[in-house]
Amino acid sequence: MSELSNNYFVSVAEIAAKLDQATRIAQQLSLTASNARAVALRAGERAAGFRPLTDFIDRLAEITIKSSRKINKLAATLSQTSADKVRADSAIAHFKVVFVKAKDSEFISSLDEVHQRSLTRQAKLDCSYRRQIDRLSDELEMLSSELRNAVILATLSRVEASQAGTQYQDALINVADNVEGAASKIKEHIYYSQQMVSTLEEY
Amino acid sequence: MKTHKLFENNSHTWLMFGRDDEKPEQIIDTNQYIVISNKNALLMDPGGIELFSAMLSAVIKQLPADKITHLFASHQDPDIISSLGLWDQALPSATLHSPWIWESFIKHFGMNNISYAAIPDEGSSLKIDQVTLDFIPAHYLHSSGNFNVYDKEAKILMSGDIGAALETVDAPLFVEDFDEHIDKMKMFHQRWMPSNEAKNDWVKRVRKLDIEMMCPQHGRIFKGDNVKRFLDWFEALEVGLITKAKAKE
Repeated sequence: MSELSNNYFVSVAEIAAKLDQATRIAQQLSLTASNARAVALRAGERAAGFRPLTDFIDRLAEITIKSSRKINKLAATLSQTSADKVRADSAIAHFKVVFVKAKDSEFISSLDEVHQRSLTRQAKLDCSYRRQIDRLSDELEMLSSELRNAVILATLSRVEASQAGTQYQDALINVADNVEGAASKIKEHIYYSQQMVSTLEEY
Repeated sequence: MKTHKLFENNSHTWLMFGRDDEKPEQIIDTNQYIVISNKNALLMDPGGIELFSAMLSAVIKQLPADKITHLFASHQDPDIISSLGLWDQALPSATLHSPWIWESFIKHFGMNNISYAAIPDEGSSLKIDQVTLDFIPAHYLHSSGNFNVYDKEAKILMSGDIGAALETVDAPLFVEDFDEHIDKMKMFHQRWMPSNEAKNDWVKRVRKLDIEMMCPQHGRIFKGDNVKRFLDWFEALEVGLITKAKAKE
């Protein structure tokens, strides 16, 4: 895991990248659900208890993909807002220098209007930035709590797998492991993103 | 950053900004020019992002910001126009005149408010109040889409990178001894300018103009007879040498 970046606009881009990885893992989870369904069908009556679980795995994958995509989009918007914020901050910093360097100029007040406009734009961007961070934080929390179900799902899958007989047991246990592994990896990315988002709130 | 008046009459004034002794050491020193007419002004090759504060501070001492209604970028290089994103905030109603081929590239510097007036390959003219300024084609010298600005009344040619020399910030404003000056500009022209054909075409075009001052974007200004000396020297100079040297290997 890389160090948290000191530049907030870089941190935002890193969050977007992390969540892109989470989406990919969720897509693998979806494949696991299809695989589980096929195995359960082949196992017939012996895996009757397992079949409904495949629907839950499917649903978990679907929710995770949907939510990851939404978070990803939010992070991309936040990334754009932070880049705009950097540019607006930079313009204001430059104007400040000009106000000092050319303070005696008879024309210095001709910059007042554009300076004021930049300040207004900066305030608006700041407001959007905070709002977007809050939304991102909420979405991450929601997805994180959804993923808590994955542990229960994996445990239930293991119990059902033990009933399926030796021929299918290993394949179904493998499904349970995949669900748990994918959920744990996604949670890791989410935890990392949540940590980053909390640093963004300081700016 | 120093300001120097190059020309003044009833209708307009030419100013040069440059020799910025506060600029970061690693960046090349640049000359910026402005034509101020009655109610408007054209700022030429306003410079890189690193120079923006110094440049705007120098300009604001001469005229109100909203009088700068036009900007000109001879080509797309960062030392010419990477400050665009900041001028875009400072002069939201201005128009940027620049080669048509660079429009979608130059906008990468950030342009949400300023309008882009694309100059066609054959050149065009801009009238600000009573002053007519001609955009003279100077393609491939050194950029593939490149223009100079000519003022017939002031007899000034803003020649962009043509005539440029790499010098220190305390160099004099005008070329004094042309022969001595050759060393400071020879490599720049041979290495940055790719085409003898384009160069000779430009020399032919510019010889027809009445020029009292030729003002490059780096180095010193050529005045009086030194303008003709430069044209003769440049015509005889072989450029695009790196390709030939490589071809010999």
